[in-house]
Amino acid sequence: MKRRILLQWLAAAAAIVPLERVRVWAQPRDLTPASIDLLHEIAPTVLPASLGADRLRRIVDGFVEWTRGYREGVPMNHGYGHPRLQRTAATPVARYVEQLTALDADARAKGGPWRSLDLDTRRGLLDAAFTKAGVRNLPQRPNGSHVVADLMAFYFRSSEANDYCYNALINREVCRPIQITTKKPAALG
Amino acid sequence: MPVHETDVCIIGGGITSAMLAQKLTELRPGLGIVVVEAGNSIFDTQNRLKHRQRAMDYGEHPWPGDFLEDQQASGIISMTMAVGGLALHWGGACNRFSEEDLRLKSMYGLADDWPLEWSDLEKFYCEAERRLNVSGEASPHPEDRRSEPYPQGPIPLSYNLQILRAWAEQSGLKFSPLPMARNLTPFGGRGSCCVFDTCGEVCPSGARYSPDFTFRQLTQPKKIALHDRTLVRRLVVHDQKPTVVSAQAVHRDRPQEPIEYRAKTFVVASGYCWSSHLLLLSASSRFPNGLANRSGMVGRYMNGHKFISAIASIDDQTFAGQNMTHSLISREHFRCRPDRPFVRHDTRVWESAVGRDPRLRAPDGRLLLGDELLADWRARTKGSSVRLRAYVDVHPSADSRLTLDPSSRNRYGDPMPKIEQRVDDATQAREAATREHVFGVFRTLARASNGRIVSSNEGDYLDHPGGGCRMGVDPATSVGDSYGRTHDHENLFVVGAPTTPTGGCTNGTLTFVALTLRSAEAIARATRS
Repeated sequence: MKRRILLQWLAAAAAIVPLERVRVWAQPRDLTPASIDLLHEIAPTVLPASLGADRLRRIVDGFVEWTRGYREGVPMNHGYGHPRLQRTAATPVARYVEQLTALDADARAKGGPWRSLDLDTRRGLLDAAFTKAGVRNLPQRPNGSHVVADLMAFYFRSSEANDYCYNALINREVCRPIQITTKKPAALG
Repeated sequence: MPVHETDVCIIGGGITSAMLAQKLTELRPGLGIVVVEAGNSIFDTQNRLKHRQRAMDYGEHPWPGDFLEDQQASGIISMTMAVGGLALHWGGACNRFSEEDLRLKSMYGLADDWPLEWSDLEKFYCEAERRLNVSGEASPHPEDRRSEPYPQGPIPLSYNLQILRAWAEQSGLKFSPLPMARNLTPFGGRGSCCVFDTCGEVCPSGARYSPDFTFRQLTQPKKIALHDRTLVRRLVVHDQKPTVVSAQAVHRDRPQEPIEYRAKTFVVASGYCWSSHLLLLSASSRFPNGLANRSGMVGRYMNGHKFISAIASIDDQTFAGQNMTHSLISREHFRCRPDRPFVRHDTRVWESAVGRDPRLRAPDGRLLLGDELLADWRARTKGSSVRLRAYVDVHPSADSRLTLDPSSRNRYGDPMPKIEQRVDDATQAREAATREHVFGVFRTLARASNGRIVSSNEGDYLDHPGGGCRMGVDPATSVGDSYGRTHDHENLFVVGAPTTPTGGCTNGTLTFVALTLRSAEAIARATRS
């Protein structure tokens, strides 16, 4: 193939490839190992440390799994009353990595890695990061606005967290015999 | 052009269509029945658990492919257009209306009477409850007498609802478990309830009735033919007679190839929106205002009920999340003495976590993290939130309308519907008094257990909509008779929600089904003649 023909062919191909899709393909699909490590480091600050280290580790692993299961452009629940069609946004992974990198840099600017900072300094960093990301409330489910708020939503909005809060085996939205619901929920063991 | 000839052509594939088709196969075995539905068949019950999980985890729609992007209406309450219709994701509430709904004009001088007797409708309520396998408890009000018991006992009250029932009944109102089309034991090829508690979105066990099960049961032994992805665009009337001779349709995969359905009887079972829409779209030089519209009533008197909600905070302790989709109902205010100011509504009570869910910031704005967030959450779960709601009887005006909107068209160029709901003058005149009455009921309820109302809101649309093809005795003021047979075309019926003159003060689906089952008998008779 002559060079000119090759260049013409590439130019034509570029014209028909949707650039938005190329951009989406270029997005990282997985959190980096360093990001995951930092999430593990942040977890005892933002999740109940009283759950214990093992449980916290598994919650972070579950959140990482959540990011891997994310699908883009899928129709979301269109609702009732005033329905409207929305689709899931692009994967938040790239934003998450950026946000974690920024948190790490901000922590080091305050004197060291995340784990070395006192609670109020960590709170201040997260407060600023949430404000910058427009996070005002705990999301109903992870929504891509900020990785730490999403990790918190991932846990605190769960049926497991609901049980932990009430110290009762409610099992919200978990398949169970209906007769069980007629009794006062048992305390967690 | 593909031509399908049949005895009965049912247009629309929702709950009324399913019930009608099922009953016709029983009344007239061997009758040729074709159901034509614009949307997809979503029969993959094996995937429902997965879809539910992704809906919970990612907000994805649990019914992939249940809508047509270019077949939507302004003012519609759901985008769903699929085999099963909105009843793919209804909550399963199966309340009956009351006799007052059928006698508004004669009892109160309001709106219009329905052209049938309560005793006649009541037996079809029983049939609807049997077919949907409704779980319920007899009402404590003698006026709600039933000729048959519910096919299942009530859904057991959760611990939370037991607490809330005791709390609510201190107001003097009597509450019952909400009747629901939810299997307590396997029935009709569907599983039993295991409190997935997402009835209003998707029920993986099939315990909550949905019409896709009925359609599968009818199509697999070929009792009916189901043509999905096929949009009926027009009904065509005979050149000389007023009978409908065909339905013109198009399959989504073969848009260049029109399809014709010829039948002895046509039934429009397309719900409150698309039924009127099809009749209006079917205008011709002989029928310039559309079919069945000599009266000009098609698309008018679009109805439904207003809703008022509140959250109460009480001291009694519940555990949010036990069975959030089940509720209590009081029918105390279904009745209104004719010598009193008119107000009718149901009263519903649910467990709730509103105001007691985890939050990111303390009231002073401080960011809450980890165990302190948990501690804040725990402190706020002392006591309970209670969700209250009243569906209020309001009456449509003639200009509560569905019209064709030339500015919005589907892929075939057909104008899409535009719905603008309006209430009549009498409803508007009593609006403030109605609101005050309902909030008075809520405040009375909240008084016990040191309760108080902490928030409230009013809906800005009419729920459980109906109308557009209202039934009546007088052809000048209605579209069809009490069976939905149109006054203008002897072989054209409209069934279900569109035929209701008014929208009642409680969930409408059971009534739409009961009316349809009644229509089914007339349609079966018509096919004999």
